[in-house]
Amino acid sequence: MAIIPATWDMYEMFQAIFQAPTYHLIFEALLILWIIKLIFSKSYAPGKTVLTEKEKEALIEDWHPEPLAPDVPDDHPVLQAMNNNIISGKAEKYVTVRGKRCINMATLNFLGMVGDESIEAVTIKCLRKYGVGSCGPRGFYGTMDVHLELEDRLAKFMHCEEAILYSYGFATIASAIPAYSKRGDVIFCDEGVCFAIQKGLVASRSLIKYFKHNNMEDLERLLLEQQAEDQRNPKKAKATRRFLVVEGLYNKHGDICPLPKLIELKWKYKLRIFVEESFSFGVLGASGRGITEHFGINVDEIDLIAASLENSIGSCGGFCCGKKYVIDHQRLSGLGYCFSASLPPMLATAAIEALNIMERDPGICQTLRNNCRMVHDGLSKLSYFHVGSDPLAPIQHLYLTEPSADRDLDTCTLQKIADEAIKNGVALTLSRYLEAEEHHLPLPSIRVAVNAKLSNEEITKVVATIAEASRTVLCTSSL
Amino acid sequence: MNVGVARSDDNPTHYYFSQRGMWVSYILIIFMAHLLILSMPFFSTPVAWTLTNVLHDVAMFMILHVTKGTPWLTLDAGKARTETQWEQIDNGEQFTPTKKFLTIVPMALFFLASFYTKYDTVHFVINAGFCALSIIPKLPQFHGVRFFGINQWCR
Repeated sequence: MAIIPATWDMYEMFQAIFQAPTYHLIFEALLILWIIKLIFSKSYAPGKTVLTEKEKEALIEDWHPEPLAPDVPDDHPVLQAMNNNIISGKAEKYVTVRGKRCINMATLNFLGMVGDESIEAVTIKCLRKYGVGSCGPRGFYGTMDVHLELEDRLAKFMHCEEAILYSYGFATIASAIPAYSKRGDVIFCDEGVCFAIQKGLVASRSLIKYFKHNNMEDLERLLLEQQAEDQRNPKKAKATRRFLVVEGLYNKHGDICPLPKLIELKWKYKLRIFVEESFSFGVLGASGRGITEHFGINVDEIDLIAASLENSIGSCGGFCCGKKYVIDHQRLSGLGYCFSASLPPMLATAAIEALNIMERDPGICQTLRNNCRMVHDGLSKLSYFHVGSDPLAPIQHLYLTEPSADRDLDTCTLQKIADEAIKNGVALTLSRYLEAEEHHLPLPSIRVAVNAKLSNEEITKVVATIAEASRTVLCTSSL
Repeated sequence: MNVGVARSDDNPTHYYFSQRGMWVSYILIIFMAHLLILSMPFFSTPVAWTLTNVLHDVAMFMILHVTKGTPWLTLDAGKARTETQWEQIDNGEQFTPTKKFLTIVPMALFFLASFYTKYDTVHFVINAGFCALSIIPKLPQFHGVRFFGINQWCR
């Protein structure tokens, strides 16, 4: 080819073009066509369908909006209970339901802190000083001296290194669990745990393994399964944290967890144990320190204790306590702590005063236990009910001895008994659940809450009234 | 095509290939890698070009069509974890300038490699094969397609 001078360095290279094989030229031609097509094609976003006016009309035609509120019949037991059981005044030992003065066996005021005059006095004093709200989360202008004092007092009371204060009892454990357990971790959890724990488990996105309520063989079976799994994949097992979540005293069942056995399993299978003490704090143990004091177990054996201040303490909020390095993690990772306004200072003061009362007079817990035992013994003798709770529990669940197959029918029957009892001066309530969302729904029951302030005569009256009410309702309905 | 500007998009894979200087950097990296290979005394010019082409195609295949999720931002747990980098570029839009550019570069490299290997058959088979590996997954028809479940995202 004469066009290219033979002396040039690239001469041979260009010569090669003209001797290129046909398949090569075809391939290159295809590529060039491809490039030309690329250059001239317009960009478009995939997956966007364009609807004609007619299609739009049809779609709008097809759409039937669901009602914002579900259609509930007017005689639904829950609606009736909400309309009928309206109370006036304070919900202390006696409560006024629809103008009728009743002994309060419904609210969870175990130690009688609600309605205590010394607590009211310090709360009003604090209200004058700080006003109502705290105006911000703890990390953002929301920390007052009373919050720090309450955390300090709770830690000292529970013999822990540190305590952290939440402003809502439900959010305490529901924030604490996802602060530690993440995707890829495993949580072993009792089937009978309360709704707050269940929400915490969901929020953690961990793998949840439920064992049968208070059944240690079932738990050990799951733990052995996990151990086998871990041995198969040791690399993964190294990065997997294993948690055990239980309640000290189960709200839904009224029984106590077998903590010594759980601790034994914890050390054997290398678990971290979280104990929810909302119902055992201020109740179990000689001075109300909860399940650890009840079993005489060192509090350091538990990795995290969470409890609500809304039951025994009669204030608002909740707390977690444990080792300093464990608890401090929540100050940045506990969502309920970081992103929610702190507890109103006056409620923190109320909790401090309640702790003062408990420390001044530890006998109050003993009185509560005596009352619980007395109520339990009295109720156990009733013919139409069986009592599912532990004699020491301040919540006694009354189940029908002969339940029907229909849950709603049983609920209605129990509600009638409760209504009858209110007429005769004893305020009762049913245990209520979000039935569709509970993991394991217990049978319907009347939840009798025991108060330390009750006298023996009052307890006798309560038992007699429940017996009378059940006889009235069940005998008339069976006729 | 801005750098250091606040964006509302939290997934950098959507836009980083369209940022200013990205195309030039990409070309420069290929060029430098080629010079490095060429400087090795035991590689002849045709071998160096075929190596450049093959390495480029394999590297880009791994980067664009094998890697899923958001390597520049590990927090994302959404849709992106199921998508390859190529599928995420420009929010999955087809025939955008960036995507056209990324498709033309391996073709241009093939032309260069063919030229410097003097249209040799063995080199052609290797170069054409790897070129196809690089450009066929870029076709809009293969958007989101996983042959035989290879590289499928699974729980």
